Amino acid sequence: MNNTLLIISREYLTRVKKKSFIILTLLVPLLLAALMVVPVLLATKGREHVNVMVVDDNEIYINNFIEDEKTSFSYRSGDIEQIKKEALAGDYDVVLYFPQSSQKVNANMYYNEEPSMYLRSELESQINNMFFDHVLQDSFHIDLDKYKTIKDLARSQITMIQIDEYGDEKESMAEMNKSIGMICGFIIYFVIFFFSGQVLRGVLEEKNNRIVEVLISSVKPIELLLGKIIGIALVGLTQFLIWIVFTLVILTGVQIAMPEKFMELSGVDKEQLMETVRDSQVVEAVNNSQMVAGDIDAGGIFAEISNYFPISFTEMILCFLFFFLTGYLMYSALFAAVGSAADNETDSTQLTMPITMPLLLTIVLVMPIADNPNGPLAFWLSIIPLTSPVAMLTRLPSGVPLWEVLLSMVLMLLFFVFVVWFAAKVYRTGILMYGKKVSWKEIWKWVRHQ
Amino acid sequence: MNIIEVQNVTKKYSNHLALDNISLSIRKGIVYGLLGPNGAGKTTLIRILNQITAPDSGTVLFNGNPLSRKDVEKIGYLPEERGLYKKMKVGEEAMYLARLKGLSKEDALERLKYWFIKFEIQNWWNKKVEELSKGMQQKLQFIITVVHRPDFLILDEPFSGLDPINTNLIRQELLELKRQGTTIIISTHNMASVEEICDEICLINKAHKILEGNLMEVKHQFKENIFSLTLSAEREIPVFPEAFSVLETSSSRNQCHYVVKVHEGGNSNQLLKFVMDYGNVLEFNEILPSMNDIFIQQVEKYNSEFKIQNPNE
Repeated sequence: MNNTLLIISREYLTRVKKKSFIILTLLVPLLLAALMVVPVLLATKGREHVNVMVVDDNEIYINNFIEDEKTSFSYRSGDIEQIKKEALAGDYDVVLYFPQSSQKVNANMYYNEEPSMYLRSELESQINNMFFDHVLQDSFHIDLDKYKTIKDLARSQITMIQIDEYGDEKESMAEMNKSIGMICGFIIYFVIFFFSGQVLRGVLEEKNNRIVEVLISSVKPIELLLGKIIGIALVGLTQFLIWIVFTLVILTGVQIAMPEKFMELSGVDKEQLMETVRDSQVVEAVNNSQMVAGDIDAGGIFAEISNYFPISFTEMILCFLFFFLTGYLMYSALFAAVGSAADNETDSTQLTMPITMPLLLTIVLVMPIADNPNGPLAFWLSIIPLTSPVAMLTRLPSGVPLWEVLLSMVLMLLFFVFVVWFAAKVYRTGILMYGKKVSWKEIWKWVRHQ
Repeated sequence: MNIIEVQNVTKKYSNHLALDNISLSIRKGIVYGLLGPNGAGKTTLIRILNQITAPDSGTVLFNGNPLSRKDVEKIGYLPEERGLYKKMKVGEEAMYLARLKGLSKEDALERLKYWFIKFEIQNWWNKKVEELSKGMQQKLQFIITVVHRPDFLILDEPFSGLDPINTNLIRQELLELKRQGTTIIISTHNMASVEEICDEICLINKAHKILEGNLMEVKHQFKENIFSLTLSAEREIPVFPEAFSVLETSSSRNQCHYVVKVHEGGNSNQLLKFVMDYGNVLEFNEILPSMNDIFIQQVEKYNSEFKIQNPNE
């Protein structure tokens, strides 16, 4: 055991001390934080006070624009060329000009410095609303108040409510669950491959530089195998932990440094949320939460979102860790076995093919699984050990009966024990084989031997 | 007292027999040469002694008890294919491998310091292994092999790749370790080094032991009664009696040199008496066969017999 600990610490320390590890570990949280903060900064940057001069030859829009604290409107009529020059030379940032026209809404916007996208879309939506009202009134002689009342009455909505096995009801966000499931599936696929690949390369390195013979004259092959696998698992966990902590620290730092902008960050997140669920029929639910968006903090928004999940964040993270660990252990043991049998990386890719196929297959099928998270395909793939880490993680956000999760976990553990037994047998023989191209048939012989 | 006793060990791989019922014993405190052509089964035997592989049948006793896992701390192994982690620092790597042999952190550091100072390589400690030359890596590997003060050292081709200075250095260290009571087994194809440092030898061929014993005894066993002699004489000896046949002659400046084989029935004294009549004997000694000759002769003899017995191979 002492030896295994020594091996674990070597595997761990040599990797953690590497420059590439340090860079990757520091860079990812920065990127993540940047992904969240930069769009906010960019979006808020354009929200400086804007003076708009409106020139309307049709006289539809005069005095009708709605002002807010960042946008004010002035109205003039006359020669556009002259007004344009004077206004832009003076206090005005933008001149909005509606030329004479009967049907279409045509407008030109004149400016020196390009206004924000926000302003443009805000103006467009106001213009469209005004034009709509104008046409209703002037062309069809429809009373506006009546129209609005009728329209409000006829707004249908479907609220999705999922009932779990305890009979608890939860409003669901199917689209969002689907995308979160797919993201989780991809992440676990990536990390399993990334870290098992390191085990494969580690085994090949030891075999290629022949140190393995010195090592196994001191320790048992199984100790070497487990030491390497566990050491690299700890590297992965360390990396996750640093990523999570760092991202939170950076986000909190930004929140403290620029509290007013972070308020808007929450707002923007809401809008992104809206974006994601625009097509689903739960706009109402989001609208409700939108109303409280003003006094929401970063923790609040997560709590808010989690209301729409059939599974809590803690459960999700625990499941992720379980399936990452077991999936990684299983694949890395298989990779180690294959690495020991191969002489170089080219040979090893040939041997790893049958092992990686199930994982590749699952990642290809992530879309159908997410589309129908409780269908037979999703069910079976999330039960079979080789595919279950990716498939189960994809399904989880949409809610999976507890017994299925437990069954999948138990099968994972059983299969893991089998895989370690298999890997130990192959590894023991493989690391001492040189200059021989090994086939799967040959490997099977090693396993049956003794 | 034998430190190692190999009893009827057989090891079979899927398509060939590596060791066939081999028995041998190694006395404590000697240097034992394990000889044999490529593919004879030496590496398999060494791996069995290191518990890297297990024999199919037969037993290995270490200090009288069956070889067990805890014995690895008493064994030092230098494999033929040297290998170190290239990216690790010299000091860290040496510490790691020393501790895997059961040394505590403090002991490992203390003993490594001793060896690093002895070999004058203290300034390597923080270098990366890949920065060292091949010869330097060999030195480091040697230190790693002996740092835990094993009772029993297994060295596979210890001198390959070393320059004459380092070869000498390692040979001196091995003799020093032997003086301190370490038993050493050397597997090598370098017959000159066998003659220099081995006390006993064992020759393995095609999975069988074909020769074993004390180095001098083995040489005497295969001697062919050949003598080398030098006379100070005016003229060459015209004719030798029938019991002797001359293999080589040469003469220069009133000295005649002969290599003579004494046939059965004759002996060295008769040869000496005969040549004394022709001049003063300056030098007279027996030529023993070299290990190189014995190796080639015995292996070829075995192989031809093997062919007769197994015509299909």
